[in-house]
Amino acid sequence: MSTKPTSNTAAESVKDSAQEEIYAKHAKVYPREVQGIFATLRTLGVVVLLGLFYGVAWLTWDGHQAVLLDLPGRKFYIFSLTFWPQDFFYFAWLLIIAALALFYVTSLAGRLWCGYACPQTVWTEIFLRIERTIEGSRNRQIKRDEAPMSLAKFRIKATKHAIWILFSLYTGFTFVGYFTPIRELSLKLVEFNLGPWESFWIFFYGFATYGNAGWMREQICIYMCPYARFQAAMFDRDTLVIAYDEERGDPRGARKKNAVPGEVGLGDCVDCTLCVQVCPTGIDIRDGLQYQCIGCAACIDVCDDVMDKMGYPRGLVRYTTEHAMQGKKSSILRPRTIMYTVLLLALTFGLVYSISQRTPLNLDVIRDRNSLYRETNEGLVENVYTLKVINKAEEARRYHLEVTGLEGMQLKMAAKVVQVPAGKVLSLPVSVQIDPVVLKRAANEIDFIISDIDHPEITHTEKARFLGPVLGR
Amino acid sequence: MNAGANMQDNNREEGIPVIQRIVAVLWPSFLTAGVATGLFFTVFHPEELLILTGHTTVSHMGAYSIGFFLFWLLTAISCALTCYFQRPCHQIKGRRG
Repeated sequence: MSTKPTSNTAAESVKDSAQEEIYAKHAKVYPREVQGIFATLRTLGVVVLLGLFYGVAWLTWDGHQAVLLDLPGRKFYIFSLTFWPQDFFYFAWLLIIAALALFYVTSLAGRLWCGYACPQTVWTEIFLRIERTIEGSRNRQIKRDEAPMSLAKFRIKATKHAIWILFSLYTGFTFVGYFTPIRELSLKLVEFNLGPWESFWIFFYGFATYGNAGWMREQICIYMCPYARFQAAMFDRDTLVIAYDEERGDPRGARKKNAVPGEVGLGDCVDCTLCVQVCPTGIDIRDGLQYQCIGCAACIDVCDDVMDKMGYPRGLVRYTTEHAMQGKKSSILRPRTIMYTVLLLALTFGLVYSISQRTPLNLDVIRDRNSLYRETNEGLVENVYTLKVINKAEEARRYHLEVTGLEGMQLKMAAKVVQVPAGKVLSLPVSVQIDPVVLKRAANEIDFIISDIDHPEITHTEKARFLGPVLGR
Repeated sequence: MNAGANMQDNNREEGIPVIQRIVAVLWPSFLTAGVATGLFFTVFHPEELLILTGHTTVSHMGAYSIGFFLFWLLTAISCALTCYFQRPCHQIKGRRG
């Protein structure tokens, strides 16, 4: 029915140009350096967040690395807390809280996360600084990129990339340092003795940092970030956004310094395009709210500067809300924000409470895979299990073990009392024997009950299956 | 080779650069593979899997990494198929006729 038309219709060319705009070949954005209150805040964010990332890896707590996601040992150390695979649920809970917090902040203050805290923003900021230090100002960078390749250009570019790559590799090293103890890792690095997977992940994460912060930059936000696509759903007319005051600024135009805007027939916008030059995503804030805007407020800083120089009041581009722009009152307390606050408080309190109430004891029961059951010389049926006794406490504990569920069951194990060191998993082979006459079914449910001898309130019950022949059938 | 040519053709029609198509396949699959790896290894201990399959020389880190890349491969395949089937049918007809 619908074959592709051979000539371009008007409608199609409109569609083409629209798509070209969305998917245009990437033209490099050269964000101009900016100074001001929001730039200072962003720098502060960079220093604090990257300081945490690179610094926390080296902290020690109670004889172990303060934050260590020990995958081989299947234990996550977060300061004085130790999490086990059984605690995965807390991690999911934490993720839900993080997502809700993001929604909450978004509905209140727009894209604060994007502008100040997102790793993409933070690392891009560092890479931009390195670039500026080596390549010079925006104008010099543009001029150099337009010039043909020369020895000087090559030298400068090579230096920049070498520093970027070194910094990226150190970032990858720190990342892996959260999974393999970082002190051990640095020893191995010095001795050129890194494991193949450790080296692989250092290069993988390093490459991702170099690619994302050095090359991709704002394209990550525009094309790859899921949050950027759906954040508008959390916006309403009372959400803080960065906007250009069109009523005050237009009509735009250049004029002499200290000219009174009304007298020259122009608005306050001097059309210096500095707000476009500083934008890390290369948009013009004066075109209105755009989803490419990551809310970094660089345009506010630079515009305030220009307004100061012109002797006009600040805030031609400012943090505001849609309601405020229309001269209405904006309110912070709205059903949406109240709901987020209540949910967030409830979930956070629940998580803290539930972590504080964790039992420091766990038991896993693994059936012997090689045989279903065995008959002993005395004619009893025997099942063999491996028990994993997990002591999550900070000191060694002694446990007592029993088994219930079937009449006359006997638990055979090497010692009566089970000793487990602090934070360790003990593999304990045990066997359970029973007279086959009591077996009514081929598969029976039994319970292993473990209890702490010195703290009787700490017990754990784990279900297991006991298999055997059913006699008289 | 053929698939590559098709893709380029397709991209010319829709004006989407190849690199962006690749990112659209690799990136969401990377995210979901990460989640899947986390869930999978929470339930299954790599040590048991390695013993059961006889790969006792693979380290834990290796088992987790291989697991992650297998998941990524699977999720990337499904993302790629989605991309592929998203192509409007009339374009296929148009090319043949």
